[in-house]
Amino acid sequence: MNIFERMQKLDRRWIYIVVALAIIIPLTIPYDSDNVTTPPTENLYQMIDSFAGREDRAILMSFYHDAATMPELFPMEVAILRHCFERNVKVFTLTWFPAGAPIIDYAINSVKEEFPDIQSGVDYCNFGYKPQAFAMVLGMGDNIANTMNTDAEGRKLENLPIMKGINNYSEMNLAIEFSGSSAGGMWITYARPKYGLNVAVGVTAVMAADMYPYLQSGQLIGMLSGLKGAAEYEKLVDIFAAYRDPVIDYSVEYDEDGNRILPGRPFGREILEDDASKKLSLITTQTRAVFTPNEFAAFSAKYPENLAMLSSMGKKEDDKVVIDITEITPEMRTQMGERMYREIDRLTRNTLYKFKVARIGMNAQSVAHIMIIVFIVLGNIGYFIQKARAAKD
Amino acid sequence: MSFELFSNLVGAFFTLCIFSFLYKDNPFYQAAEQMLVGISLGYGLVYTYNRVFVPYVWQTIVIKHQFVLIIPAIMGILYLFRFSRKLGWLSRYPIAFSMMGVGMGVPMGIHAAILVQMRQAMVPLESVNLMLILIGTIAVLLYFFFSKAHSGIYGKFVNVGKWYMMIGFGASFGLTVMARISLLIGRIQFLVNDVLGILK
Amino acid sequence: MKKTIPLLIVILGGLIWVAWAFSPHYVLQEVFYNQFYLPWAYASSSFAMLLGVLSLTMMHSAKIKRRAPKWQYSYFFFASFIITCLAGFIGGIQKGSLFMWMFENVQMPMSATMFSLLAFYMATAAYKAFRARSPEATVLLLAAIVVMLAQVPLGVQISKHLPTISQWILDVPNLASKRGIMLGVGLGSVATSLKILLGIERSYLGGGD
Repeated sequence: MNIFERMQKLDRRWIYIVVALAIIIPLTIPYDSDNVTTPPTENLYQMIDSFAGREDRAILMSFYHDAATMPELFPMEVAILRHCFERNVKVFTLTWFPAGAPIIDYAINSVKEEFPDIQSGVDYCNFGYKPQAFAMVLGMGDNIANTMNTDAEGRKLENLPIMKGINNYSEMNLAIEFSGSSAGGMWITYARPKYGLNVAVGVTAVMAADMYPYLQSGQLIGMLSGLKGAAEYEKLVDIFAAYRDPVIDYSVEYDEDGNRILPGRPFGREILEDDASKKLSLITTQTRAVFTPNEFAAFSAKYPENLAMLSSMGKKEDDKVVIDITEITPEMRTQMGERMYREIDRLTRNTLYKFKVARIGMNAQSVAHIMIIVFIVLGNIGYFIQKARAAKD
Repeated sequence: MSFELFSNLVGAFFTLCIFSFLYKDNPFYQAAEQMLVGISLGYGLVYTYNRVFVPYVWQTIVIKHQFVLIIPAIMGILYLFRFSRKLGWLSRYPIAFSMMGVGMGVPMGIHAAILVQMRQAMVPLESVNLMLILIGTIAVLLYFFFSKAHSGIYGKFVNVGKWYMMIGFGASFGLTVMARISLLIGRIQFLVNDVLGILK
Repeated sequence: MKKTIPLLIVILGGLIWVAWAFSPHYVLQEVFYNQFYLPWAYASSSFAMLLGVLSLTMMHSAKIKRRAPKWQYSYFFFASFIITCLAGFIGGIQKGSLFMWMFENVQMPMSATMFSLLAFYMATAAYKAFRARSPEATVLLLAAIVVMLAQVPLGVQISKHLPTISQWILDVPNLASKRGIMLGVGLGSVATSLKILLGIERSYLGGGD
């Protein structure tokens, strides 16, 4: 048997080993890469961001999937929850699959760990598993508290602080459905024509191509497609919602002009396309907070009691001042206080592992896609050469 | 060993049982497969009991005394007669009750799946892309219209629909590859990070 | 008789639903929907679960009785089903209970792994089955390769126009073909729903008398 015949008859278990290695190796060696954002993701981000800080707006996340599609959908859900908790957007979560209930708990608990001020019933509300999807979708258009009655913990909805200002779809104006199949169908068919609800979906990539007609017709205002959509959203959250300006004092609610100070910053295309923003969404571990001299002065002015410590920590590099967080000892951390430590940690622009899972996955995806393309090309080369030889004989 | 690590190891064990099928069919895989079905079914039953039966049947009938709901409860039990050869016709009643909703699906379905899509296909042709979309939509629709033979100039136009579909399916295929690999990436991330703790 | 009454329920109920979709009248929206249909739908739907339980139990008991191939594994099914039910009914379904632990650490990993096997099969199929046998298949493979490369971060390193080309493929030809197919499917499903509504399509009632 010549080499091409042997190639064609290769035992499939060798192919499995190549696939496994092609994914294990990139996952164990993180490197920085850039996921280009697409309009469906950006539109969804902007719509959720427009609800930032508003008491009379909320989003609903419908977890219409089970554990099988979690690798693609869970990072999206975590990224959106992180966006909402950063920018003070009210969130409601719900599922119509019994198997979806633990997934909601995982997602909320995983994100809540980093936001000690976020409370159930005030900033978010989990409806848990509710049967009879169709009835819920229509009922919430009239009155959410009457339709849902209680949340997952059994508390009556009308008593919860989060329901202040939220009656029905006019206020809970965006529903995002996460599903591995038929995402958004119920909302687009029943809730949108009757109540004008905005609908977006987070789908596995398998269904993404089928959703484009709905995107173009406006029935969907945005879409996150698979792991790439999750990676794009994580990047947007890192660049905008999780961004902290060293100059601004986020602990006060209003600045001197009476404008509301919200954490993060709004979406801006120039910021997104600027090369400097790439440094805000790096995958590798970041330990250095870099300030311009003016920023460092303004930052120090926020913590006058720790001025001496800050001056000793800040090192001059070129024309910037750098604080390396690994050089902060536990005694220094206790002395400066948890608030200042957290702010320096933020300014290193380091992302926790759980908030960059999709981007790390996309690195492995790059290698895997090249591998599949190589397989296709090799398979076709072998096939055509075989065919030519057979024709010659 | 912490409880979390132990739980992750249990998950990893069952993950590897299922992965072992790739080498060849073996007793570990068979046993794990049956356990998966058993636990899924048990979970569904317990959850349905706690979240649907107790609040909407038991509490409404016994505690709130809405005795009229005994009728749909009995109707629900009629589902089980599906397995009986003599009394199988009783199971048609609950099925008929749930099929009633199809009446609402007609106008809503026409609106969402047909009318809105048609309206968006009938926009002013301001750019080349919109013209291409219109030509493609009509060609694809005509491709599936089999009452007229695909011959001559009509056949050539309809053939354009075939090319559009090939590109569309190619895009779907590319995205499907990404989706499948993402699922594997998720599992390997679990094994590599949560169990072996290589990256945290 | 045994088919007529269910058929009448579907036709009359379906017509009331059609009226519900168009009319904001109080009798339809409040009395029919909120007070009649919703509570009845909740009450009857919980029993549908028992169908699945009964069906699988019957299948596995028959397998054990007949000593069909791999009949021993049916004991694993029964054991895991009974243990899960006992854990759920006795121990409760709150977080931290044995029931939820079993679900989160046994069922969820296994269910996710079953799906992840598809990646391996896809790779084998890519190597052994995806052949550019005709011009159409070649166009399909080329479109797939462009979209695959553009999805990953590597794509923008290969060519900075790749994401734009891939987005164009998704926004124009893909959209046109999916829209055409969706219109066809929509028309078909509306036709079938109408047939059910008017009593022409009766296959959902099952065979027999």
